[in-house]
Amino acid sequence: MAKMPIETAVRRSDAIAKASGTQKYLSDMTFEGMLYSRMVRSSIPRGIIKNIEVPSLPEGYYFISHKDIPPEGKNELWMIAKDWKCFAENEVRYVGETIGLLVGPDRNVLANLLDDLIITYEEHEPAISIEEGLACKGGAFVNDTNIFCELEIKTGDEMDEVFNRADRVFEETYRTGFQEHVHLETNSVACVQEDDAFVIYASAQCPFYIRKSIAGLLNIPYDKIIVRQTTTGGAFGGKEHFPDVLAGPLLVAVNTIGKPIQMVFDRSEDMEFSVKRHPSRTIIKTALDDKGAILGMDIDVVYNVGGYLSCSFVVLQRGVFHATGCYGIPSTRIHGRGVATNTFPSDAFRGFGAPQTLFAIERHMDHLANFLGRDPLELRNEYLLKKGSLTNTNGHVYEEVKLPEMIKQITDASDYWRKAKEYGRGTGKGIGIALYNHGGAFTGNGEQMIIKGHARLHKHSDGTVDILVGSTEMGQGFQTALRKIAAQVLDLDLHMINYDNPDTSKVPDSGPTAASRSTMIVGKLVERAALLMKKRYDSEEDFHVEVEYEHPEGFPWDQNTFQGDAYLGYGWGAAVVEVEVDALTSEVETKGIWVSHDVGHPIDELLIRGQVNGGVIQSLGYASMEKMENKKGYFKQNSMSDYIIPTSMDFPKMESFLVDNPYEFGPFGAKGMGELVFNGADAAFCEAVSRAIDRRICEIPIPPETIVELEIHGN
Amino acid sequence: MVSTYIPKTLEEALIIRKETGARPLSGGTDLMVQYRRGIGVTPKFPWPIMIVSNLKELIGINETPDGSLCIGSATTSSEIAASPLVPWHVREASSRMGAISLRNLATIGGNIGNASPKGDLPATLILLDASVVLASVEGERTVLLDDFIYGAKKTLLQDDEIITKIIIPKPARPFTYRWYRKIGTRRANAITKLSLSAAITIDEKGVITDFRASSGAAGPKIARNKALEATLIGKNVEDIPSLLPSFLADYDKIISPHAMPEYRRTSTKRMLEYFLTEVSKRPSGEIIE
Repeated sequence: MAKMPIETAVRRSDAIAKASGTQKYLSDMTFEGMLYSRMVRSSIPRGIIKNIEVPSLPEGYYFISHKDIPPEGKNELWMIAKDWKCFAENEVRYVGETIGLLVGPDRNVLANLLDDLIITYEEHEPAISIEEGLACKGGAFVNDTNIFCELEIKTGDEMDEVFNRADRVFEETYRTGFQEHVHLETNSVACVQEDDAFVIYASAQCPFYIRKSIAGLLNIPYDKIIVRQTTTGGAFGGKEHFPDVLAGPLLVAVNTIGKPIQMVFDRSEDMEFSVKRHPSRTIIKTALDDKGAILGMDIDVVYNVGGYLSCSFVVLQRGVFHATGCYGIPSTRIHGRGVATNTFPSDAFRGFGAPQTLFAIERHMDHLANFLGRDPLELRNEYLLKKGSLTNTNGHVYEEVKLPEMIKQITDASDYWRKAKEYGRGTGKGIGIALYNHGGAFTGNGEQMIIKGHARLHKHSDGTVDILVGSTEMGQGFQTALRKIAAQVLDLDLHMINYDNPDTSKVPDSGPTAASRSTMIVGKLVERAALLMKKRYDSEEDFHVEVEYEHPEGFPWDQNTFQGDAYLGYGWGAAVVEVEVDALTSEVETKGIWVSHDVGHPIDELLIRGQVNGGVIQSLGYASMEKMENKKGYFKQNSMSDYIIPTSMDFPKMESFLVDNPYEFGPFGAKGMGELVFNGADAAFCEAVSRAIDRRICEIPIPPETIVELEIHGN
Repeated sequence: MVSTYIPKTLEEALIIRKETGARPLSGGTDLMVQYRRGIGVTPKFPWPIMIVSNLKELIGINETPDGSLCIGSATTSSEIAASPLVPWHVREASSRMGAISLRNLATIGGNIGNASPKGDLPATLILLDASVVLASVEGERTVLLDDFIYGAKKTLLQDDEIITKIIIPKPARPFTYRWYRKIGTRRANAITKLSLSAAITIDEKGVITDFRASSGAAGPKIARNKALEATLIGKNVEDIPSLLPSFLADYDKIISPHAMPEYRRTSTKRMLEYFLTEVSKRPSGEIIE
């Protein structure tokens, strides 16, 4: 059989079931004697619980709270930090904080009980915005400063000295808002007892995270908790740590009640009471010499963490490490802080902290160019990172940077130079460009020190091969990608390779499905395992091989000082967006989108196309219409008719290019790309609008009403 | 428990309405959403409900002998959008309401009864001087829609009444130029952020014989002001450019947007200015875009 090149598109393993609606999700599952549950949540952003008045419960109904955690257990969910409680005990820090669960057989009865349950609080003054958090409004509730986490990195000369030397200084502040994941399937978890173990069924990205997070609630060993991922209808980071917040209370409830229990959020719950992308404020101050050359940048990054830290320090680190974007700046100082506020904790979301600072640096480069009277792309070209360039953590760019070739692809295809000149500024028409990157996999040596992923392949006597990893399909196409890698190495038909949703009792831990690491890291593990299996495939009937992650040489990193190579490699991207602003209504019509990405070597051209389309449109939604406001601790938008995400009518078909740049340490040369594609179209869109209306745009989203305000009042 | 009734005739529905105060539910696209309580839970209504979507008396679109159009209150947006009998403005608004699945369920009576300032159909119906027919066991009465909806979510509907029909009178002469623009939260499947409906009739001598404009989502109710409209009637279309500044300033006073005031005022002004300026140039097409 003639082998197809790896990148040749195949039909996705999950395509038919999902497209035809026959796929079963968690809400389709029932268990014998299954009970339903509703979360009892804090209705205030900050205060002390004074009293919980539980209505009289009919037989078979239960109220579960922190009091049901056994004495040997601890009331904490172990995400990255352990600060997020399973159930609030005394203090509440945000609207929607879990206080208890109502459990019982009839959902109508549960809804009535929920209406009748009365909680009284001593209310305290909340801090909601970044500024209120920094000002410790209502008094600090984390440390003495409300600063949950903080880091600073420097390169080159001391900042004071750099700014003393400066001829001119250009400074601006950039802001991004909350973003809701809007995964098609809402958060859903069920817990049942099986023999002497608890089984968690979860719509989730990281089954092993759940096990680690909740075992301490009952103080039981990991093998007494089995997590089985159910087919997951989208996640985008919203199901990285957040399923723990459902699974923890369910585990405590099942331990108390002894019956299977499920919890499926409805859409408004999923929007009002779930994690969001961190709002950000980034101040960039650039020192320029008398010829307009950049001497250095002093960057201050603040992310709104919300009520608990969870994984926010890692998100902040990624934000800081991406704060100078695709540019080599002679001297830099980047200070990052995560501030505590009384909003729902912010958490993972496609890009994991990088999109906020990349938005800031890209807007800064545009406005700086305008300040200097130069073309924004010409200015960028002077500072592009190259192979061997120093990064802002004093590491080095390992791979060939193909940005010049990518820029040429999209500027040619979009006729960028002609349009940029012809449209000018303030004509209602505009074209903008943005460059971006994304560090693949866990920061620094995290793959080695924190995860140490494993993958196993099992050959059955009928010749079929099972892929056994903890990585998950969540709509991105990973089951297909991984099966292709194994099939290609083993020279087998794709249908000979099985890869089911993981069960933590049956598969080794290959690490979380996050950080754009799955194809790059887990794909490589499977490639290595398949090479080992290939040697024995013809001679042995029923056997398995297992491999462990091996860190490539030559990527020094110190996690204490944040110095060295922050990532094992970067994906790179470039986007051009062209718009027209309606003269009457200021609605923005996007006329064209041109993007190019360096994803190493593609594992499947159609999967890549799916990720590019989805990521770019999600980024354009973030820039233009996805407005999530928090008023006094409450999210104002709680349905898909008021939290607006784009439909296929809102943006035109895009022209998408790839450059081939095989990555030495990835399977078939592939590297991470699932987040990269989210990281830059927002800034290109803003630059296009900015030129069309001749106003600076430093904040997203930028809906028509904001455009009119800018038109009327100027900057 | 809340009672639910399924009357078989309008007569029966009116009796149930009188005796129980049950509210009519047809497509349920507002009520079922507004009173939902989670997956697998029956919505909890504060009053009894009667399902009227199968009442033949409430469905259909007919021309009456005097040339008016009569639309049954349980007629869906999809049916209205597809009917050549329905005036252009109303068809345009119908075809842009929410998503296709919503338009297949949502009814004109519900859109009126809900009385949201963002409602798509009332904005165009008020432009066309439509009336609603309200029935009770006592009989029928007809009320101008612009009076019937007197505030956000507020109507003159009595506790024993049901909206049965919407009557759209035929204008004295066909409109010479028409305008409809909905600014949604996105390009499809969107709630209205702002709308402007307008129409003008010009006679052979260039004299304006009819002019109307209505603004949706620009205040607590659909904004229309006949006294202001009358200031243009009788004027020659050539004089529009000189009349525009004071007309636009006065129009600004009849809208009272609560949220996004600058956006709503500015866009309304720009759209009206554009429509009237285009009209003064006497283009050949009837629809100004």
